[in-house]
Amino acid sequence: MSAFANTDQLQKIMVELWNQIKNTPSMSEKLLSSKLIVQFQYRDPDGKITIDCSDGKQFLIYAGETKIKPQVEMAMKADVAHEFWLGKVNVPVAILTGRMMARGPVNKALALLPVIKPAYDLYPDIYQHREVVGTSITG
Amino acid sequence: MRQNHARDMNPFVFHCPTKVTFGEHMAATASDAVKDYGGTKTLIVTDEVLAKSGILQPILSGFSKDEYVLFTEVPPDSDVDIVNKAAALARETGCNCILAVGGGSVLDTAKVVNICLSLGGELLEYQGLNNLASRLGPLIAIPTTAGTGSEVSMVAMVKDNAEGKKLLFGSRFLAPDCAILDPLLTVSLPPKLTAATGLDALTHNIESYTAVISNSVFTDSLCIESLRLLFEYLPRATTHGDDLQARSATLVASTMAGVAFTNSGVGIVHALAHATGAKFGTHHGLTNSIFLPHGMQFNLDVVSSRYALLARNLGFSNSSNDEEAAQGLISAIAQLSSRVGLPNRLRDLGVPELKDAQLDELALLASTDPAIMFNPKESSVEDIIAIYERAY
Repeated sequence: MSAFANTDQLQKIMVELWNQIKNTPSMSEKLLSSKLIVQFQYRDPDGKITIDCSDGKQFLIYAGETKIKPQVEMAMKADVAHEFWLGKVNVPVAILTGRMMARGPVNKALALLPVIKPAYDLYPDIYQHREVVGTSITG
Repeated sequence: MRQNHARDMNPFVFHCPTKVTFGEHMAATASDAVKDYGGTKTLIVTDEVLAKSGILQPILSGFSKDEYVLFTEVPPDSDVDIVNKAAALARETGCNCILAVGGGSVLDTAKVVNICLSLGGELLEYQGLNNLASRLGPLIAIPTTAGTGSEVSMVAMVKDNAEGKKLLFGSRFLAPDCAILDPLLTVSLPPKLTAATGLDALTHNIESYTAVISNSVFTDSLCIESLRLLFEYLPRATTHGDDLQARSATLVASTMAGVAFTNSGVGIVHALAHATGAKFGTHHGLTNSIFLPHGMQFNLDVVSSRYALLARNLGFSNSSNDEEAAQGLISAIAQLSSRVGLPNRLRDLGVPELKDAQLDELALLASTDPAIMFNPKESSVEDIIAIYERAY
């Protein structure tokens, strides 16, 4: 059974997580300075989250389809994303074993990994309250 | 002596999609291999030096004139423009198979040309890891150096000169279908290149063996035997280029190391070599050889038992003290490098002394290089700068 009931729940949890990252200066400032647009593509259930830091000032979060063209795309099963945010996924091994796919300049995506590490502490609480998150957030 | 085989095994996936054939005059069977894989018209990708050397003759003699098209423009550090040019030629002439004959740059170029030819579309769309959705057309690789392991690896790098960066492609579909190892094709490799590419293979082994999050008993066993061959035969291959026994051993060792590292990854030495190579155009194998002892010293406190296992297996130490045995391995590598005539400082490669800001930039480049993901020990920018300065 998947960690997420459906696309809506998956995307709302991820949007909440990224909103909390956005509101944590130690992470958001470094992400903004990267000026990257990263898209996370999930399957089972399907979902998409796009993080746009391209102008270095605005931290924009999009759920679902968007016309914005990402520079880096990361694709994985939603359950792998769940394990990742719980700090249980070793990214190099996930790439070697084909559980994660990266499209674009991989080094840019890798540079962000240490930056978002503190979010591992935020995620369990968001996930635990997924029923509430699922009704209160508008992506 | 107690061996540390009882450590927990990593979960792993081991791919070896490439059929490997080895033997003197085996290159002449390339046309048969093409037919085996259904190729009817072949783009032969190589470089100008090899094309002029006559080395291709036994290979070409197996094809009739209308069965192949020759592309000889691959430079030492290949570029997207070259890839596009070769792919356009292949399309125009109706090629459905690629045969790569050369060193790492030629082989990597051919892999990326194969993406273009097989999948079409914009090349940059395929940049990344696990990003190819389907199998590619047949690709046969004949290495003329013994070091890169590209003839069996699932990765390729080419430069994007317009953007000033290297593009990385990694997928199990990228590995050649067949690698033909013919030691006769390596006998004319000059001593310095023989030594530098040999040390590249040696670095693949050391870093693969100590990529403790991703290695396996499959990769370990390849690394150990490959190292044994390199330590024994690289000096002979370097000083006596026509020693076919030594050429055979180093060629096979390099391919074994290629299978190992493409399954388990490399580490901080490769990350530093990629960054230094990107900045100053230094030879990859040579740069690896200089960083290797320093990278090993950095990782020592985390993987001393792994180094010690290698040292004991290869007969460089019989000490039961891991750190002491590990130092025996590091010394043996430094001695091998010196014996085959390689320099041991970056400044010897013409790398200029860097100012603080330049060091920071280089360290940032190394710290975001995908190779560093597999290093057994986490490193800060300061750690990377310290290794660089020791190697300088």
